[in-house]
Amino acid sequence: MDVSFPLSSAASSSNAALARRVREFRLIARDPALLVGLLAVGVFIFAFIVFPLARVIVQGFFTPEGQFSLNYFARYLEPGYAQVYWQILAWTVEMGVLAALGSTALGFLFAYTVVRCEIPFKGLVHALALLPTISPPFAIALAAILLFGRAGLVTRDLLHIRFGPGVNDVYGLDGIIFCQIITFFSIAYLILRGMLERIDPSMEEAALSLGASKWHIFRTVTLPLLTPGIAASFLLMFVESLADLGNPILIGGNITVLSTQIWIAVNGEHDQQKGAALALVLLLPTLTVFILQRYWVSRRSYIAVTGKPTSGAATFVKEPIVRWTFIALTILVLLLILSLYLTIFAGSITKLWGIDYTLDLTHFTGVFKRGLEAILDTTFLAALATPLAGIAGVLIAFLVVRKTFSGKEAVDFMSNLGGAVPGTILGIGYIIAFIRPPMFVVVIVFAALAYFLVGAATKQTSWRLIVLVAGSLSGIVLAWLAYDDKARAASAFSFLTGGLNWLPTLAEMQWLLYGAGIFMALALASLLCVEAQAKRRVFVLLALMAVYLLGRQWILLLTDPLALWGRRLGGDYLPGLVTSVASWITLLFQPPLALVGFTYTVLGAFVVAVWSARTRLLAALILLAGSGALTFYGQPLALVGTAYIVLMAYAVRSLPATVRASIASLQQIDPAIEEASTSLGGDAQHTFRRVTLPLILPAFIAGLIFSFARHMTSLSAIIFLSTPKWPILTALILSEVEQGGLSLAAAYSVVLIVIVLAAIGLLYLWAGRAFRASADITLGAG
Amino acid sequence: MFLTLDHITKKFPGRGQEGIVSAVEDLSLEIGKGEFFTFLGPSGCGKTTTLRLIAGFEFPTSGHIALAERQLEQVPPNKRDMAMVFQSYAIFPHLKVFENIAYGLRIKKLSNDEIRRRVSQIMALTKLTGLENRMPNQMSGGQQQRVSLARALVVEPKVLLFDEPLSNLDAKLREEMRFEIRDLQRRLNITSIYVTHDQEEALALSDRIAIMNKGKLAQLGTPEEIYERPRSKFVADFIGLANFLPAQVQTIQDGRATVQVGAHTLQVTALPNDTAGHASLVFVRPGDIKLVDDRTQANILEGQIIKATYLGEKFDYRVRVGDLELRVQASEGKRHAAGERVHLYLPPEHARLIGEE
Repeated sequence: MDVSFPLSSAASSSNAALARRVREFRLIARDPALLVGLLAVGVFIFAFIVFPLARVIVQGFFTPEGQFSLNYFARYLEPGYAQVYWQILAWTVEMGVLAALGSTALGFLFAYTVVRCEIPFKGLVHALALLPTISPPFAIALAAILLFGRAGLVTRDLLHIRFGPGVNDVYGLDGIIFCQIITFFSIAYLILRGMLERIDPSMEEAALSLGASKWHIFRTVTLPLLTPGIAASFLLMFVESLADLGNPILIGGNITVLSTQIWIAVNGEHDQQKGAALALVLLLPTLTVFILQRYWVSRRSYIAVTGKPTSGAATFVKEPIVRWTFIALTILVLLLILSLYLTIFAGSITKLWGIDYTLDLTHFTGVFKRGLEAILDTTFLAALATPLAGIAGVLIAFLVVRKTFSGKEAVDFMSNLGGAVPGTILGIGYIIAFIRPPMFVVVIVFAALAYFLVGAATKQTSWRLIVLVAGSLSGIVLAWLAYDDKARAASAFSFLTGGLNWLPTLAEMQWLLYGAGIFMALALASLLCVEAQAKRRVFVLLALMAVYLLGRQWILLLTDPLALWGRRLGGDYLPGLVTSVASWITLLFQPPLALVGFTYTVLGAFVVAVWSARTRLLAALILLAGSGALTFYGQPLALVGTAYIVLMAYAVRSLPATVRASIASLQQIDPAIEEASTSLGGDAQHTFRRVTLPLILPAFIAGLIFSFARHMTSLSAIIFLSTPKWPILTALILSEVEQGGLSLAAAYSVVLIVIVLAAIGLLYLWAGRAFRASADITLGAG
Repeated sequence: MFLTLDHITKKFPGRGQEGIVSAVEDLSLEIGKGEFFTFLGPSGCGKTTTLRLIAGFEFPTSGHIALAERQLEQVPPNKRDMAMVFQSYAIFPHLKVFENIAYGLRIKKLSNDEIRRRVSQIMALTKLTGLENRMPNQMSGGQQQRVSLARALVVEPKVLLFDEPLSNLDAKLREEMRFEIRDLQRRLNITSIYVTHDQEEALALSDRIAIMNKGKLAQLGTPEEIYERPRSKFVADFIGLANFLPAQVQTIQDGRATVQVGAHTLQVTALPNDTAGHASLVFVRPGDIKLVDDRTQANILEGQIIKATYLGEKFDYRVRVGDLELRVQASEGKRHAAGERVHLYLPPEHARLIGEE
C-alpha cells in the first residue's frame, strides 16, 4: 500500500542523539510494510521472549502470595538442604564439562575426517552425523537402555552381566554423559567443519614452504585458527548439556541434575517459586556462556571474517597412518550411532525387549490407535509454527542486516535468547507469564499499536492522544459488557469503570455479533468516506474483519458436526483423524481474541490512512474502540492450556536457527542489488518480494526444515505446556518410558523420526524443483 | 536549475574515538538539464555519499536537494525518478537479461507489448540484442555493465546516476564503454551525474566536473578549466602530473608575476585574484617543461638528471635542481642519460602561481 506514516512530527534539534533516533525510525516509518514488520517482531519478542524470561527471574524471589523471599536460594546454605543442593550442582557441572569435552572431541574427529581425510561416501557420513539433530532428544537414551540397560541386549544377553546392588549400570552420570555426547556432537561437528573449510589452504602451504613439518603446521597454524571454533563448540555443548532434560530423566537413575530438579519442582511438587529459583540458577551459567560466545569468542575468530569457504583445493592429509586412523575411528563411532538407531527400530518391533525377542508389530497398532491424536496434533502444530518462525526470522534478519535503528542489537540478541536459554526455563516462564492475563504486556502492546493507528490518522500530537485515550477507554467499556459481575470485580480495570456496573452483561455470541456489527458498519461507511481508488480494498478488508469475528462461532456449526460424524465412523484411525482435523479448523478460526485485537489495530492504521480527512478521526476512534474491545475481552492472553502457547514456544525455540540462516545469506547479497531495485521504483515490499526473497530462498527453506525438525523433537519447553487436549508426541513418549513401555516408546520414536525425515524429503523435493533452474546462481554482485 | 544541492552536509557516526565524521560538508551545486556532471576525487572525498544523497539512499544531516523545483526530503528513493548504475553492476542474479532490463517497467505496470518494445529498443541501443535469455552469470563483465546501463536507461529517468560504473572493467573495455556512455547520454539527452576517481574518465565524459576533497568542493568547472587552470595544489596534483616549486613572490601585475625560486628568478602566469600572500607555489606540468641548450634565455633552471626512464612514446626524467626534484617528460629531442647536466625552460604561459590550499 502506498501510504506513509509520519510517526513523529518534528525531530528536536537540541538533542542530536535523540534526533538521530527519531530520524532512523522515520526512515523505517516511510515504508509501512517495514514498520509493520518491525512492530510485529517487536511485539513477538517482547511478549514471548523477554516477558516470560523476566517473569521467571522475578518469580524466583516471590512466594505465590507475593511475599519477597529468598527461600530457595538460601537452601544452598542451609545445613539440611545444602548437601543435596550442592551435590546436584556438582553433578550438573561434571555432566556439562565432560559432555562438552566429549562432544567437541567427537565433533572434531568427524570434521577433520570429512574435510581433510578424503573419507569415502562423504555425503553419507555427513548425513548420518546429522541424524541426532532430527531425532527426539531422548532417542539415544532409549537406545542405550535397550542395549546396555539391566535387561539390555548387550549387557544381559551377550555379556551375561547380572545386575545387582552395587553393580555399575548404564543409569547414572556416565550414562547421561554418554548419551549427551552422541546427541549433541552433530552441532560441534557442524561448527568445526565450517571452520576447517574456511581455513585457506594457502596458509598451510605457506607454512609448508617455509620448512615446517606437518605436525608443526597443525600445532602452530591449523589449531590456533580453529581455537575460536573449538571454544565456541565447547561452550555451546556445555549449555546444551545443562539444558538437556530428556536424557537425565530417562537414564539419570538416582542422579538428579539441575534441569531434572526444576522439572520435579514444577511438575511433581507444583512449586513454581522453587522451579523459578532453580531456573535462575540454571540461567546464570547458560546466559554467561551465551554472552561470552556472542561477544568474546566470535570476535576472536580469524576465519569467520573472510566469509565464503575457499573454493580451491583443500589440503588433504597425505600420511596414510593418520588418515586411516581418523577414518577408522569415525567409522567406528558411526557404526555405534547406527546401531543405536537400529536398536530403536528393533525395539519397536519386538514383543517384549529383554525377554521375548519375537517379531511383533502390535506396538505400531497401539501407537496409531492411542497416540494418533498426539501424532497428528504435534505434526500440525509443528508445521503451523514453522512459517511463523520462518517469517519472523527473515524479518528480523532483514532488519538487522539492512536497516539502522536504535535497539537493533537488542532485537538480534533477544531473538537468539529465546532459543539459547534452556527450554525448561522458557517453559516455566510461559506457565508463570500466561496462566493469568499478562495485563502488563497486553496494555503495553496495545498502547504501542494504538499509537501506530492514531499516528496514521493525524499528525497533531494532542489529537493523537485524545483519540488514543478516548478510543482505548471505549474499547475497555465495550469489553466490560462481556463480563459478569464477578469478572467485573476481578477485572484490572474495575477502578476505571466502577460506575458502569449497571451495564448489561452480554453472552459471547451476542457480544461478538455487536462487535462484528461495528466493523460491518465501518465497512459500509467506508464506501462513502474513502478515497475512490482505495474504496474497494478497504470495504473488503473491513467486511472480512467482521466476518472473521463471527467465524469464531459460526465455524463450530461446521466443526462440531464434523467431529461428531467422525466419532461415529468405523475403523481404528478415521475417527481420530476426523476429530483432529475438526479441532485444527477450529484452532485457526479461534485465535486468542487479544491477538485478533492486536492485528485489527494494525490493519486499522491502513484503513484510517486512506479515510477521507473530515471523518478520519472518528473512524480512528471507532476502529480503536473495536480493536480495544477485542484486545481486552475476557482473559486476554491467558494462553496456558491452549494450543497457541505451544505454537509460540515452538516458534521461539527455533527462531535463532531461522534468523542465523537468513542473516548469513543476506550478508552474501550485495546491498546494491536491492538498491538497484529501489532506484528503479520498487518500494521495500516489492524489492523484498521480488529480489531479496528469491535470493535467500534456498537458505530460508533450509531454515524451515531445521525449524520443523526442532519443533517436532523439542521436549524441555513443551513438556510444561502439553495438555490432554493438545497432547505432544515427545511428552507422550517420555511418559510411556516412565511407565515401562519401552517398545511402545521406541515405536513412537520411530514414527516421529519418520515424520521428520519425510518432511525434509518433501521440502527438498519441492525446493529442488523450484531451484534447479537457478541452482548455480552466484549471490555476489552479479 | 534542474537539480540543486543547497548547503548539503552529511555526518556519519564515526568508529571508536572519532565521534562524528563529516562525509560531505556544506556542498552547494546546480546541475543543468541534460548536463553530464561528474564528481571526481580520491576515495573518501564524499563523492559517492553525495551521489547516494541525491539518489535518496542517504539523507542529508542538513541542507536541501531539489529536482525541477521539487524538494526531495519527503520523497523516498523509489519515487525520485532517478535510476542508478552501480559499481558492482547490481544485476539481479536470479533474473534473465530481459527481465533484468524490464524490471523497472514492470513496476510501472506497463503493458507487455510496450515492455517488449522498449526493452528490445534499448537492447539494440546498448548492443545487447540476442542476449535476452542469458542468465547474468553467463555474461562477461562488459556485457553485465551494459545490462546495468540498459536497465537504468529504459525507465527514462529524469536523472541518471553513475557510481564508478567502469572501475571493475579492464583498461581497454573501460575506454570503449566510456565513449558508449557519452554517446548514449548525448543521444538520449538524459541529465547524468557520474562519480569516479579516474581523472581521465572524468575529462573525457563530462560537461562539468566537481572535484571534491575531504567532503568539500575543491573546484568546479569544465574539463579544460580544471586541467589548465587548477585553483589549488590539490586539484593540480589530482588531475594529471604536476611539479610544484616553492616560490617567493616579488611582484604581481596584469596576470604576470615575478617570483624567486631558489637562486633563480622566473616569470610566471598569475590569476587575477592571486596575491603575494596567497600564492606560494609555482605549478608546471612535466610535459610543459622543455629541455634546452640555449642557456641565455629567461626562465631557465639548471639541473642534473638523476633518473631517465623510457616510456615508449616519451622519456621521463627526474631532474635535481638545487634541492628540488622536478619531473620532466619529453617526447622529442635527443635522449639524455642519468648524470647529465641539463637546462630546463619553463614557458611563462604554462608555469603558474598556485596556492597551497
